[in-house]
Amino acid sequence: MKFTSEQLKIMDSIISRYPRSRSAIMPLLHYVQAIDGYVTERGIETIAEILNLATAEVTAVSSFYTQYRSEPAGEYHVGVCINTLCAVMGGDEIYESLTDHLGIENHETTKDGKVSIERIECNAACDYAPVVMVNWEFYDNQTPQSVKDLVDSARAGNPRPPTRGPSKLRTWKENSEVLAGLNDGLAHEGVSAGSASLLGLQISKNGGRQ
Amino acid sequence: MTELTPRPDDLGLTAAAKANVPIENQNAKSFFAQLQGFWVTFTTMFKKVTTVEYPEVKEPMAEGFHGRHQLNRYDDGLEKCIGCELCAWACPADAILVEGESNTEDARYSPGERYGKVYQINYLRCIFCGLCVEACPTRALTMTNEYELADDSRSKLIFEKEDLLAPLRSGALKPPHPMAEGKTHIDYYRGDITDIKND
Amino acid sequence: MTPEQALLETEVAIEMITVVIDGFEVTVPKGTLVIRAAEKLGIQIPRFCDHPLLKPAGACRQCLVDIEINGRAFPKPQASCTIPVENNMIVKTQLTSTVAEKAQEGIMEFLLINHPLDCAVCDKGGECPLQNQAMSTGRPESRFEGVKRTFEKPISISSQVLLDRERCVLCARCTRFSEEIAGDPFITLNERGALQQVGIYEKDPFESYYSGNTVQICPVGALTGTSYRFRARPFDLVSIDSACEHCASGCAMRTDIRRGKTLRRLAGDDPSVNEEWNCDKGRWAFKYLTNRERVTTPMIRGADGELHETSWPEAIAFAAAGLKDKRAGVLVGGRTTVEDAYGYSKFARVALGTNDIDFRARPHSDEETSFLSRVALNLKTTYKDIDVADQVVLLGFEPEEESPIVFLRIYKQVSKRALPVLSDAPFASRGSEKLGAVLISDLSKIANLTTKSVVIVGERLAETRGAFSSVYELINKSGAKLAWIPRRSGEPGALAAGAIPTLLPGGRPVTDPAARVDVAAAWSVESLPTSQGRSTSEILLALNVKNLDAVVIGGVDPLDISSTALTQLLNSFVVSLEISHSAITAVADVVLPVAAVIEKSGSYLDWQGSPRVFEKAIADSLSRSDVRILSMLADEMGSPINLPTVSATAREIASLGKWDGTPVAFEKSVSEKITELGEKLNLKSWRLLLDLGTLQGGEANLAGTARKASAHISKARAEKIGVKSGELISISSELGSLELPVEICEMADDLIWVPRNSIGSQVIANLGFVNGQVKVIKA
Repeated sequence: MKFTSEQLKIMDSIISRYPRSRSAIMPLLHYVQAIDGYVTERGIETIAEILNLATAEVTAVSSFYTQYRSEPAGEYHVGVCINTLCAVMGGDEIYESLTDHLGIENHETTKDGKVSIERIECNAACDYAPVVMVNWEFYDNQTPQSVKDLVDSARAGNPRPPTRGPSKLRTWKENSEVLAGLNDGLAHEGVSAGSASLLGLQISKNGGRQ
Repeated sequence: MTELTPRPDDLGLTAAAKANVPIENQNAKSFFAQLQGFWVTFTTMFKKVTTVEYPEVKEPMAEGFHGRHQLNRYDDGLEKCIGCELCAWACPADAILVEGESNTEDARYSPGERYGKVYQINYLRCIFCGLCVEACPTRALTMTNEYELADDSRSKLIFEKEDLLAPLRSGALKPPHPMAEGKTHIDYYRGDITDIKND
Repeated sequence: MTPEQALLETEVAIEMITVVIDGFEVTVPKGTLVIRAAEKLGIQIPRFCDHPLLKPAGACRQCLVDIEINGRAFPKPQASCTIPVENNMIVKTQLTSTVAEKAQEGIMEFLLINHPLDCAVCDKGGECPLQNQAMSTGRPESRFEGVKRTFEKPISISSQVLLDRERCVLCARCTRFSEEIAGDPFITLNERGALQQVGIYEKDPFESYYSGNTVQICPVGALTGTSYRFRARPFDLVSIDSACEHCASGCAMRTDIRRGKTLRRLAGDDPSVNEEWNCDKGRWAFKYLTNRERVTTPMIRGADGELHETSWPEAIAFAAAGLKDKRAGVLVGGRTTVEDAYGYSKFARVALGTNDIDFRARPHSDEETSFLSRVALNLKTTYKDIDVADQVVLLGFEPEEESPIVFLRIYKQVSKRALPVLSDAPFASRGSEKLGAVLISDLSKIANLTTKSVVIVGERLAETRGAFSSVYELINKSGAKLAWIPRRSGEPGALAAGAIPTLLPGGRPVTDPAARVDVAAAWSVESLPTSQGRSTSEILLALNVKNLDAVVIGGVDPLDISSTALTQLLNSFVVSLEISHSAITAVADVVLPVAAVIEKSGSYLDWQGSPRVFEKAIADSLSRSDVRILSMLADEMGSPINLPTVSATAREIASLGKWDGTPVAFEKSVSEKITELGEKLNLKSWRLLLDLGTLQGGEANLAGTARKASAHISKARAEKIGVKSGELISISSELGSLELPVEICEMADDLIWVPRNSIGSQVIANLGFVNGQVKVIKA
């Protein structure tokens, strides 16, 4: 099945942002995920064709970056940070309780297709450890219980909004569109830097540590 | 020619020969010396013999004797040889010729990917040094105690794979056949295939 | 390209730099990498990813050395394959620096962590850079006690290349070769971290014409050739330098033989021709010798109409009787060595007294004969001219399909400096796309030709009347360099040896009395035939109408010439010199077995005109070269040609030399008026590199990577016929038809292109011609 002409038009507009067309490969892969939910064969083949690359080259890029999935993701893709700080602050516990709760393992999706989980590497939010990301939106200072509640609310179709970022959690496909560089108009919503991040700045403004 | 010199046990024969003296003219002392000699022969007749009546009687060889080679099998009959040619490489006499081949789904001779399709040992060249056995990574090649390797033509002394392969044990199947259910070549290599059906 | 090559190519003085390596001074051109400078001193730094013909990658880190410049040392060991030399640089390799030694041992230990210990079943075992360098610069013992990473193995990345991912050390030589040299980035490094691996896109296998080179340059046993897998160990093999018999590119090759049988062929090293590369056909197509039944003994056709094996004297006598004092022609075929072609040439003139000899077993024309005799013979264009060309024009020539190493040379300049390429092809083939070739519909579109431009004409130009004349005019006007690159390896040599109706050996015109006297003196004969002879098609026609009685045929497939060639032979006395049973031996009256390439010595001329000499690979072969058999035949006929051996022939060719008198004049032809097509389409075709060619027989793994046959038509035409891409169309002439799936591309609406000799598309057999009008309908 081919992409629609509107979708192809959007791909062209993404390509036109770059002086060299092959630079558009990453946003295009995100855009394919926005349409298909993961990097599909038709996605790879279309990108290869419109960027004049070999399919193998597109595969190389899409398999290198962990943000590109080679199998369908859930509507809400939950990433639990398991790097050192988050892990010792409770990330490991969150991950274990979450797998027990959902009955799925790393990179798997629940049967209803709503939630998938992944052990992810550092997301540069160590000051809010342990951190969980849903569709790449931040959920700071989580506990096993808060994450269970979060996925339950997501499965019920009414996810809790992220700690930072927009006031409503959007789906995996919707957020992939943002990563493809298509504006969802939510950039102004929510806080971008929380108090923990700004603490150092505050201290230095107050004349430094006394 | 060296000069004939009398040895201590010479019994005076050399001297007699030199002097051209007839033997019967020798003195009584030399006669007793001769009897003494026959006594040694006589007593030996009642000693335990060390030789055997080969080929009617065959003695087992010493442990570790280097005899004819054998290509071993796993318990289920698959060959251990993987056709790697390391034996041929190690051979100082250039007596071994191996050609490898791929196992296929339909025709499997050994566990894993590769088997020895052609395996020849030329016993006219082999010096039974055993370096080939040391080189073998799968213990496929060992040496038996068999030493009767004489024949009447050169070509008969080039042993083919069929001549070298170990006989099938009871319950083992003649390859080609698949690996044991659920087992990999690594299980075979580790000797972890015990559930061979005996029929 | 290395700086040394740059020096050669540009002939501009390059700054020289002196460095100290392990206490020895060495002076090298600026830009030389440290690892190369060390090589000049004979210091070998271990390496995996480094390859002199690929761009530096610094991927394997095995070549770490200690470097200091102007007294300041790098804080850590540096990869010597990525760092160019500098003035006042002091390099300490593993030989003089414990830091470098320890660093290299550490890298080796890392590489071996995940490398399986399956050397016993690995094809590379015994000739493996990893084995060798682990012994020379690795730690004696591993400290790794964990579990090695494993992958499913092997996976087939094309029908001819297998990949064992766990053996891979991620040097990226294969991926870099495919992208930089071949322009086929079908294999890439996928995944990341510990799972990083070479791979393909699952639906697109590694079907590059040059994929075999990745097997050859893989420094471990990760990439192996399907056909050679598990076949031999290096110590089994006897390696012989050889020349490729497949095309006129002229690749140096290495042939590995075990007990009289070729087990593999590798690209040889000749920087002026194939560098270190070759194509998959040259590498893997050698089973033609064992594929068809060999002719081992002479045979003569008895009264019962069957061939019977006989003795050499009887067969020679029978053949001589059939040829003596008869009107006979000679068809040489395009695959002979220079010496064999010379043998045919001399045999025709001396024993048969005729100039009816032609090496062209393919469509040809009188205009081409004239072009070959006057122009092609005296060309001096070489690979080096392509390296420095300001533009390359391809006429009747599809380099990737018809001379793949020429393609690599052009592609090298295209990717390096965007060399402009023009092509007269009807559509942009995969090769044209890679070269970025601008398609031209006729020669008047060629502009800006200078003395640095290179115009390459292929054998298919003979199929367009007037084309050679236009090229001749174009070259005379512009002074551009011209090259004639036929497909087959024997053609340039056969032309030089005079296996053509217009020329005696060395380019001497048959119609020039001085030239005839020259040759007659050298050959110790009184006179030579004076009039121009018949070409291949004329010989066949003459045989058919009994103007000729007999014919001597070398390695010729009648279907390469025309659909009627075989039947035209039926009424004559046919002497066939062949290696295997063929369509010709089936109708021949005498079949004389000859030696195949590996069983004889000889030489080819590549398209540059340089000799590619090769020795007998199978020393104890009893087969004899064509020239020896022709010599026996000539003796029996009472007009000896005195060419008992290949070396004697080579000496005679050398002593005869080239003609320095007036060459024949080029006779121009006028191009045809395009006839009204009506509903019909003009058929265009060429042979793909991998197709049903006789010399590719018996190698299914190679055939598995051949491009699938499809018919190319324009979008407008497809709409008119009512077919979509991939649907079948039927193409028919008065003589037959064929069905192929359609591929829609940009081309003229009145043209259709099909492959000439692929599965499902054998144009001469199916349609009766290569150039003509066909009816195209939806199937």
